[in-house]
Amino acid sequence: MAEPAPVVEMRGISIEFPGVKALDEVGFRLFPGEVHALMGENGAGKSTLIKALTGVYPIDSGTILVEGEQRRFHGTADAQSAGISTVYQEVNLVTNLTIGENVMLGHEVRGPFGVNWRATHRAATEALARLHLDHLDTHRPLSTLSIAVQQLVAISRAMAIDAKVLILDEPTSSLDAAEVDRLFTVMRQLRDEGVAILFVSHFLDQVFEISDRLTVLRNGQFICERRKEELSRQELIAQMIGKDLETLSSLGGNRRAGETEGEREEPLLTAVGVGRRGAIEPTDLEIRPGEIVGFAGLLGSGRTELARLLYGADKADSGTITLRGRKTTLKNPADGLKRRIAFSTENRRDEGVVGDLTVRENLILAVQAGRGWARPVPKRERDEIVSTRMSELNVRPADPDRLIKNLSGGNQQKVLLGRWLATDPDLLILDEPTRGIDVGAKAEIQEAVAELAAQGVAVVFISSELEEVVRLSDRIVVLKDHRKIGEIVNGPEVTAQMIVDLIAAHGADTHHPSPPPPAQPAGNQPLSARSTSAPADPAVSETTEEQS
Amino acid sequence: MSAPSPAAPAPSPVVVWLRDLIRKPFFWGIVAIVALLLLNVVKDPAYLAITVNPANGNLVGNLIDIMRSSAPVLMIAVGMSLVIATGGIDLSVGSVMAVAGAVSMEFLKYAGDSASIGVAFSALGLALLVSAAVGAFNGFLVAYVGLQPFISTLVMMLAGRGLAKVITSGQNTAASNEPFRWIANGYVLGLPVVFLLALVLVIAAGLVVRRSALGLMIEAIGINPRASRMAGIQPKGLLLTVYILSGLLAGVAGIFSVATVMTVDVTRTGSQMELDAILAVVIGGTSLAGGKFSVGGAAIGALLIATLDKTVLFLGVSSSATPAFKAIVIVVLCLLQSQRVRSWFTSRRASGGPGGGAGTRSAGDPPPSGGGGDGGADPGAHTVSSGDGAAASSPGGAGLASDVEAKEVAA
Amino acid sequence: MTHLNWTRRAIGLVAAGAMALALTACSGGGGDTTDDASDGTADTGGLTTIGFVAVGPEGAWRAANETNIQDTFTEEAGYDLKFAPATNLDQKSQIDSFTSFVDEGVDLILLSATEASGWEDSLKRAQEAEIPVILLDRGIEPDDTSLYVTRIAPDNVMVAEAVGEWAVSQFPDGANYIILEGPAGVGVVNERNEGWDAAVEGSSLVKVAAQTANWSTDEGRSVTETLLKANNNNIQLIFAQNDEMGIGAAQAVKEAGLTPGTDVKIATIDGTKAALEALVAGDLSFVHEYNPLFGDMALDAVEKTLAGESVEPYIIVPSESFSDVATTEAALPDRKY
Repeated sequence: MAEPAPVVEMRGISIEFPGVKALDEVGFRLFPGEVHALMGENGAGKSTLIKALTGVYPIDSGTILVEGEQRRFHGTADAQSAGISTVYQEVNLVTNLTIGENVMLGHEVRGPFGVNWRATHRAATEALARLHLDHLDTHRPLSTLSIAVQQLVAISRAMAIDAKVLILDEPTSSLDAAEVDRLFTVMRQLRDEGVAILFVSHFLDQVFEISDRLTVLRNGQFICERRKEELSRQELIAQMIGKDLETLSSLGGNRRAGETEGEREEPLLTAVGVGRRGAIEPTDLEIRPGEIVGFAGLLGSGRTELARLLYGADKADSGTITLRGRKTTLKNPADGLKRRIAFSTENRRDEGVVGDLTVRENLILAVQAGRGWARPVPKRERDEIVSTRMSELNVRPADPDRLIKNLSGGNQQKVLLGRWLATDPDLLILDEPTRGIDVGAKAEIQEAVAELAAQGVAVVFISSELEEVVRLSDRIVVLKDHRKIGEIVNGPEVTAQMIVDLIAAHGADTHHPSPPPPAQPAGNQPLSARSTSAPADPAVSETTEEQS
Repeated sequence: MSAPSPAAPAPSPVVVWLRDLIRKPFFWGIVAIVALLLLNVVKDPAYLAITVNPANGNLVGNLIDIMRSSAPVLMIAVGMSLVIATGGIDLSVGSVMAVAGAVSMEFLKYAGDSASIGVAFSALGLALLVSAAVGAFNGFLVAYVGLQPFISTLVMMLAGRGLAKVITSGQNTAASNEPFRWIANGYVLGLPVVFLLALVLVIAAGLVVRRSALGLMIEAIGINPRASRMAGIQPKGLLLTVYILSGLLAGVAGIFSVATVMTVDVTRTGSQMELDAILAVVIGGTSLAGGKFSVGGAAIGALLIATLDKTVLFLGVSSSATPAFKAIVIVVLCLLQSQRVRSWFTSRRASGGPGGGAGTRSAGDPPPSGGGGDGGADPGAHTVSSGDGAAASSPGGAGLASDVEAKEVAA
Repeated sequence: MTHLNWTRRAIGLVAAGAMALALTACSGGGGDTTDDASDGTADTGGLTTIGFVAVGPEGAWRAANETNIQDTFTEEAGYDLKFAPATNLDQKSQIDSFTSFVDEGVDLILLSATEASGWEDSLKRAQEAEIPVILLDRGIEPDDTSLYVTRIAPDNVMVAEAVGEWAVSQFPDGANYIILEGPAGVGVVNERNEGWDAAVEGSSLVKVAAQTANWSTDEGRSVTETLLKANNNNIQLIFAQNDEMGIGAAQAVKEAGLTPGTDVKIATIDGTKAALEALVAGDLSFVHEYNPLFGDMALDAVEKTLAGESVEPYIIVPSESFSDVATTEAALPDRKY
């Protein structure tokens, strides 16, 4: 592609929040007919840059040129009239309005007697047709659509105002593989029509699949802008986190070397026939101190359900759990906590953070709950928990009195990890602790897990990223269709591919892959968060982002 | 209003304290109380005067009257603030007041002995026991049966008054017992006992809630019940405790209310007091959605309601206009408390006071910077702090023009 | 969906609560409660069936009134009285009871309405079913005399006028006075104001303030306390529109260091036992009865109606007044309420 004039050019953009320089002289160019990925860790300044471009934040200094003309946006409406449209991470549509109303909201076709609904719906259908969504009945409520299709509708809405620039902020975080393909098809089509697309995603494979050009930010500063072909994954990651990847890659080796160490010890927890109707079939399991047991399986395979029974988040309706040689019943989380089990949930927002409390309060919550309300944790102990955990896990910003909801996802996750570590657990269950967080935070969490196991804590590690499970675990429990289908003792020869094969082979005749085969084969789709793609996809075993 | 002095490079503790006070949601409650008192002073310059009754050494004055009449609503507002913080509501407090009043009056009437302290204490204990039982029943329905708090307590609101009527056989029972009467009419150190008692209970409740972990856990449950459960908090016992507390405090309020006149009026004692309590809690800055709460704020709200009631009488607002007058005061107050209106206010101060308080204060709350954050930003607050055109980097530079722009963005 | 379920559950629960209340209210009302869900035909052994749509527990006055009616229309007297008090003073429950009486085909309905308006349809239904209706105590609005046989009640306007006349006679040289009213807009309040104003018009009495104290002792005291302060205790007369508020006012007067009866005279309406006791104790200076005991008059009217004789459309119940300690003391032992 010859380089025509950029449709958007941002020069020397600085935005300062009190105490934080969010953007420091950042430059950014966006060309028509390209997909441009904006890369960086959480806190690198991606969202701030987007908000500057869309007029949400006023800029302190610098210039924004749209089609060569200097513009100053005083709000999103300004940016929209300049042809810049945004689809945010959380789809911001009105689910109880109809599809057509959502597409045309604020741009309804008006006749002499107010809104001409028939013309409005016709226009909506046309806008949807651009994305091959014209089969949708524009009179149905939006809530009848899946999240993925809602996302596409949101894009239709963005395109209904003839956008020249389309900004997609984490559009794939709640989509499955087939849905991602569908989105990418649409993105390619829009690109070919000359639309400039700014794309933000945590999934490196998606970034490499769809984008033409990448810009990397770090700590509010511009690092580089490259065409995709000029940048390898390793380089990209190195640019994003600003250090080489040796720490990351060395981790796996360490674990594997010590794989059988725990064998001799008495099991910390023994589960016999533990199950719960509709969630997980009766399952046997042993977990020893200092051991990392990975639960591998697709979303809905029963891995979370099993973990919940081990904590008491749900009550098992069959089987027995023996803890430190004593039979135990776990009726509720408080029981688990009392028995020094900790469970960090995959559902961070609904079951993890208490948003309107501070980081400090979130950190001590479990310790306090264990003691009951009448015995408050003394201030000195509280301060110690807070300072230890925050520095140990490198929580940023390092302000314990900030509301946790104002932290980025990765830092929230660290606080939650800190909350559980503060209870000094013997068994730590981590369900998707690294989902939706950036590479740097991911590495820090993985390091912390390995460190804990080395100190003798038993860890159950659940992740959709099989490489992560393979790299960290001593033993891998493989689950499928609410059943444990096998157990693999980890070793150098074990790969994610083996697990994928195991899942694929097991009862292949009874397995019904739910999503229809993608219209266009995925280039290199990782088996990453929430992926429910057909497990036999040959691309699955390819490297994910941290693999060296 | 004394604005913090902008010139001082390192603000003095007093300034910091003042600044924090202004940022409290109940600050406007205090302002409203002062404004109402001033309104009364305009009508009668001697309004605030407190004199000593030469006969008994008690203090006499309008302020004393406000204190005394605020006692019942203080009690239920404190209980209500705890319940609302858990994400619930207790509509039964007014009826519990009637029940407590009915129990104590009936008991005193049949016990007869009008001078016995023992009898007074028995009446007190019995009334509080019954109130706690009603509260426990609410708590049971909410925590263990899983009914909506609104419904459970609505049922108790209706049934409670029925219960009070059964206790007194539909009569408005009057009784005489000096020690009991003293609770609401006596004086200690020249101040009304009833107010001192209420104050002690408010402070005790505030201390219990904040010194123990009760407050933290109540807030956690109110903000995110599922996450709280997963963190090991056992919400059932906690909810039960909170509803019992609310019932107990409503019982105290009922005793205060009937002891004043030594008569229980089964249809009217505590009637619609639940609304006053909810209002007081809201004025105190606790969201009806639950979560963060402030016992002190609820107390301020209660005092405001008492002041408002007395002001209406003192100014001689006609009976038919009274509800409208109260409504206007409350609406204005809620407007002042609203996030958006407050952000206008702060933005004006930010541009007015260079380098001073407001701008840097909002530093405590910048939006999540950078990518992938949960977008929990408060655009209003941010806009204020960063302004437009180099407002933040050169704090003195935010002129009128950028201020106007900032407001546009906020809106 | 879930919302719908929730609402349905809510309604169910409220209904259950209301029912529980109705039960407690019945037992609270005392006397011979009759289940109005009894047999369809009202012909029980030659007794005349009368449906009494009552107000239910509201205070001493009401209790005396309704007990009196129940004690009058006994089986010995040849009546089967079906007593249906309102649930929590709710008009809707009264309309329901009224309708079911019409459906049952009772011989006559006695009605004490909680609210004055909204009765036309029900009364017309009774008329179509040829069931005569007699209003007790409270009237209806609009006052369409063709819809009922008669209204038997003490007259609020007359009673308040009597209080006013007493006041004028007490203070020939004038005085500052305040009025403690019931809730704003209620019919009784308007009538009592009307009578009072008619009597004091042209006198030298000066109205300083009129505030509602919601019929309650507690508020009567609180309101009086503030009004005294607002006027530097320069008040010589308080007209409390019911006994409870007057008793509260007396406490406030004492609290302010004044002596009721000497410094401030308090007049009230209703004539409950508590008020008469307060009068004897010197707290109140004038109590005008609002006589609840008109069972005999009601019986007379019912008999005439059923016999087809004509009845006056408005029968005023005579009420006494009390101001003298000795007579009041003598009357006390016989006070029923």
